[in-house]
Amino acid sequence: MTTPVMQKLPYGVGQWGRGWFIIAVIAALITGFGLFAYSRQLIEGLAATGLGDIGTAGGSAWGLYIAFDVYFVGVSFAGITIAALIRLMNLERLKPVARMAEGLTIVSLVLAALMVIIDLGQPGRGIINLLRYARPQSPFFGTFTLVISAYLFASLVFLYLEGRRDAALCAQKPGKLQGFFRLWAAGYGDTREERERHNRTAWWLALFILPLLVTAHSTLGMIFGIQPGRPGWYSALQAPSFVVLAGVSGVGLLIVIVAILRKALRLEDKLDIQVFRWLGNFLWILTAVYLYFIIVDFLTANYSGGSREATIYGALTNGPYAWLFWLTVSMFILSFILMFGQFARRRYSITLVTIAGVLANFAAIGKRDVIVIPSQTHGTMLPYEAGTYTPTWVELTIILGLFALGALLYIVFTKVFPVMEVHDGKNETVAPAEETGKLQNNGTARKRMFVVTLLSGIALAVAGFLLAAPIGPTADPMYSDPRIPFAPLIFVIGIIVTILSPVVYELFPDKRGEKREAVKA
Amino acid sequence: MTEVARKQTEIPERKISRRDFMKKGGAAVALSAAGLVVGSRVFASPKEEPAAATGVKYAMVIDLDRCFGCRACMEACKVENNTPEGVFWMYVFRFEEGRYPNVKLSYMPRPCQHCDNAPCVKPCPVGARYKRADGLVATDWKRCIGCRYCEVACPYSVNYFNWGEQTKRQYLDWKAPEAESVRQVTGGTVPPYKNPDLAGAFKPENRYIAGGSHQKGVMGKCTFCVHRLDKGLLPACVANCPVQVYHFGNINDPESEVSKILRSKRAWRLLDELGTRPSVYYIGSVPPTPEFRQIEAVKGRTL
Repeated sequence: MTTPVMQKLPYGVGQWGRGWFIIAVIAALITGFGLFAYSRQLIEGLAATGLGDIGTAGGSAWGLYIAFDVYFVGVSFAGITIAALIRLMNLERLKPVARMAEGLTIVSLVLAALMVIIDLGQPGRGIINLLRYARPQSPFFGTFTLVISAYLFASLVFLYLEGRRDAALCAQKPGKLQGFFRLWAAGYGDTREERERHNRTAWWLALFILPLLVTAHSTLGMIFGIQPGRPGWYSALQAPSFVVLAGVSGVGLLIVIVAILRKALRLEDKLDIQVFRWLGNFLWILTAVYLYFIIVDFLTANYSGGSREATIYGALTNGPYAWLFWLTVSMFILSFILMFGQFARRRYSITLVTIAGVLANFAAIGKRDVIVIPSQTHGTMLPYEAGTYTPTWVELTIILGLFALGALLYIVFTKVFPVMEVHDGKNETVAPAEETGKLQNNGTARKRMFVVTLLSGIALAVAGFLLAAPIGPTADPMYSDPRIPFAPLIFVIGIIVTILSPVVYELFPDKRGEKREAVKA
Repeated sequence: MTEVARKQTEIPERKISRRDFMKKGGAAVALSAAGLVVGSRVFASPKEEPAAATGVKYAMVIDLDRCFGCRACMEACKVENNTPEGVFWMYVFRFEEGRYPNVKLSYMPRPCQHCDNAPCVKPCPVGARYKRADGLVATDWKRCIGCRYCEVACPYSVNYFNWGEQTKRQYLDWKAPEAESVRQVTGGTVPPYKNPDLAGAFKPENRYIAGGSHQKGVMGKCTFCVHRLDKGLLPACVANCPVQVYHFGNINDPESEVSKILRSKRAWRLLDELGTRPSVYYIGSVPPTPEFRQIEAVKGRTL
């Protein structure tokens, strides 16, 4: 206990250098611009954007906001998938990027939630009415509940539990953040039981998160894929391709962030080429699958000819969206070639992998745009004239501001918590919990509490879902109202309680001997 | 990386007895079957209405052989519903087909189709867009959150969003000085005109579905003039058509005008192949094909 194990907190935590402040100020300024643009939109309404009505007005009702919302949710894919895969498949090589990836997931989900609110015409009403009236029949229900509450919350719980050991380590060093770390560690003693318990919960949590992830990204694809009135959207391929494109953009952005942090925090020895090799290979495989989807989609739409899908593809390949479409496709191909070439030659370069990641992200953003917009401007089922959509400075500034906000959140995250697992076994150990207190493994009470939390969470979620989803024909006015108001809120709370159950399992206090009990009695 | 008890705990190989397997497997199968049943009920499309349904169910029959594209219905709709500039809850297509000199003209009014299986009702996240028992597809403008999902879901493109604060109605700026003078002369009854019936709640659900004052950030569309139906009047477009293109009535009543026409003439519904089952029927002429070109398209700036 007497030997100070670390002079400073690891990975620059708590050391706010000048460079960091400069970047933070720039990011805050851009966020401020974004806020200003949003204030314009609040005053003028969505008229401040380039959006317009589909049909006679020749516009696009959904534009960049929706495209970027989809993009932000997509990026969140990387973090939690990689963290979960490390847990489930023991991918030791990727362990150093697990925490960075979890951070990316959480930040991007926050941005996605904000993007949805920004897109609403009545943002204040939206927050209340969604909790009050949200209907499971709407694909948006999945976005609001699964993605933004369940997914975000599960990621937070995962990050929290995985970080407790490091928090306990950091809490040993005196400093401004000590209290925060102590709170995070929440009495973590690093005993054998605690470690085993954590391994167990993390494994199950990872197993739970993976299907949640596929469901969440599929729901997002379903927003588009199940609308028969929009040619170009209505496709069974939409949901799986959203999952894959989410992977492309997420892994791509993770590569970029890892490369930046590697330089900024001087982690060259810890983040070696092997990490980039793994991520890069992951990226090219996903990109190849996505290119395959594009080809299948193209052939299906164009083979018969004369269909409305062919009109959309005409606009894409040879019309007003041609430049964006071909730019997107060529960036996908370039990213794929860059990575596949390295794979085939078995020689990897960090710079090239990073470039492939950047390209994949620009391609993903472009692809989101050409999914969302042309089906509205050129995909009307009745012979309206083709429309146009040009985003205004308000939209662009708000989106830029969101990116800056994301960067700001992320760099704050790197300064308050180690971006990599701290312990390396030799000299970094948490002080073993005092054995004198006679720690008793209070197994049964712990398990009982866990099961109670889990079951009450599931019960609440099921009840909330059934109360929110009146079963009956559309013509019944019941169909539009939940059986009781705020049933969706019950559903969301149920999901959150369910996800909290592993926290209960891990944090349930051990009995500290009989002393306390005696005092109480 | 050195070993810090981060190793996965060794998983002992466990034998699963047959009884255990049957129990757990059976439970899993039962659970997923229950999930499928509930899911299919929640997300099911409404069944076709039974033939002998009771109560009023409104339907519109549009006789395209009579329509000559004067667009009086569009004008009537705008006056009645105070729709903002560039917004056409009722729209009349003027089509041209073929090549000069063998050109054919045709006209097709396009109100909201008030579908029985409305693509816009299903995805509304808050139930602001809903289907009434009398067949109307209504928009509760006090509940709408402005996500515009109904608009992208509608194959007919009949939705008009209130993108901004409405200052112009009836092509006259409400805040302009000349509007003030008109208001003084007419005592506020003629343009700039505001229909007071649009603001209220409507039975039986007591919801605000007549469009109100076109509040910023909510969706609007044809209401079949629910405020007029409430008083026993016909929708404005029906009442104002000079050549009686429109027939409107209760399709559940076999003696109503619409039922009689639909029995005697061959009718079609717009984009019926999508399974939307509209309440608007067309007789005469043919559905528009992709070869139809629009002439004199009305294109307005939506504020």
